[in-house]
Amino acid sequence: MNFTEFRLKFRHFIRKYRRVILIIFVIWAAIFFINAMLKNRINQPEATTTYDAHTSVIDSTASTPANLQNPIEDMIEEYVGYCNEGNYQKAFNMLSEDCRKYEFNNSVSDFMEHVLVKMPTPKKYSIQDYSNVKYGNKRLYIYEIKYTDDLLATGLTNSTYAYTSEKFTFYNGDDGLEMGAGNYIYYSDIKSISENEYLKIDVTHKVVNYSIETYEVKFTNRSNYTVVIADGQEANEAILVLPNETRNPSEIADIVLAPNEEKTLEMVFPKFADDGDASQSIIFSSVRVMEHYSGVGEEVPPETIQSEIDNAISKFSMEISVAE
Amino acid sequence: MRVRKNDKLFVIIAVIVIIAMIVLAIVINVKSKDNIDYSKMTEEEIAAVVEEQVNEMEKNDLGEMGERDRMEHYVASFIEAIENKEYEDAYEMLYDDFKKNYFPNYADFEEYAKNKFPSMISVEHTNFERNGDVYVLWTKLSNPMGSKNSAIEINFVVKENDLNDFDISFKIF
Repeated sequence: MNFTEFRLKFRHFIRKYRRVILIIFVIWAAIFFINAMLKNRINQPEATTTYDAHTSVIDSTASTPANLQNPIEDMIEEYVGYCNEGNYQKAFNMLSEDCRKYEFNNSVSDFMEHVLVKMPTPKKYSIQDYSNVKYGNKRLYIYEIKYTDDLLATGLTNSTYAYTSEKFTFYNGDDGLEMGAGNYIYYSDIKSISENEYLKIDVTHKVVNYSIETYEVKFTNRSNYTVVIADGQEANEAILVLPNETRNPSEIADIVLAPNEEKTLEMVFPKFADDGDASQSIIFSSVRVMEHYSGVGEEVPPETIQSEIDNAISKFSMEISVAE
Repeated sequence: MRVRKNDKLFVIIAVIVIIAMIVLAIVINVKSKDNIDYSKMTEEEIAAVVEEQVNEMEKNDLGEMGERDRMEHYVASFIEAIENKEYEDAYEMLYDDFKKNYFPNYADFEEYAKNKFPSMISVEHTNFERNGDVYVLWTKLSNPMGSKNSAIEINFVVKENDLNDFDISFKIF
């Protein structure tokens, strides 16, 4: 092939594939351009930290919606500001109606007492989304607030590193964002009854705090005998049933009803609000209906106690649903 | 004839696009190059530019560190300033309210630093905690040339406002 032939073939090739060649050039120029842009883009270094106030500690994939983050921060700032100023009434007014009623008995002095335990002197604070739980159709955002002295201003001079903390709850209510303090999470009407010819047990409501559930339980003795529900003589006289386990109450007083007596008690069970388990029922497993009951004190001989139990008119277990 | 006209237009547009992109890429490259002409600057200006560049490099290094390393770096910066007798620099690093509480005058701090801190300082970090955006560090300061029992255990409290921009305070000892 001589030069003229080569030249003609090359010209023919260029003419035939002119469009393809130009497109290839355009793509190459685009890559060249983008490369130059990327090469010169300034990457601003950032101060990365492990602190993310609105991502849940319990479940790092869950966080508070962006539109609630600033309002929550603002409410906490305002609340702590009032407490630091000693303006307890204003801080109290910021709490939800439920929280004021069930956590602080609608009493500013009860609330003040609580604040002075957590913040005996003006404090700095930090916030952390602890967990997000669902109650009914409400999504509750539980935050942990830690109160410290102004660590930076003292450098811990004449003190050690210490803090107090409490859980706050936020949820969207009818009147906007609602806030609960003092580890209060929510209140629930249970209104569940279980009864037979001897005994009626009525669980009226429960108050959920971060680490406990408090049930108000009304016992009615319908018989002319003594009804013993709990006196420490039997194991597991009262238990809270969860899907995979049971819990004994933190403390249980003797529950002994005289004939036809009515008694309302608060029963407290240890349970974290964000453990993912829903309470199912309370079981009173050793209810005894007794003709003779001498009590269980040291002064009562064990054989008398056993004989009275053995001669009980009836023994039964009673379960009351507390599922929401 | 119509086909040829279209072909010509396509070629013209493609060539213009290619030239435009190449020219832009070259302009971006040239602009981004460090074009500082030191020959026309005073010594102070050069020093300021160099300081800025060093600060940028330090920021880049800090950006690659984890938070604990950064906080320890800030404590080290404070200690280094004291060790080098650059007390004013160290004083500048202190949190304003801490200064108000313990060293309202620079002279107070200078005297304290001269008398209390060892002349040579070795730092051992023993613990670290974060409380919100404030960090508490537990450290042992000792003079490597001094006796073994001369170590001072103190806390540093650090708040990072941005990379290489921080406030610091320490437990008065």
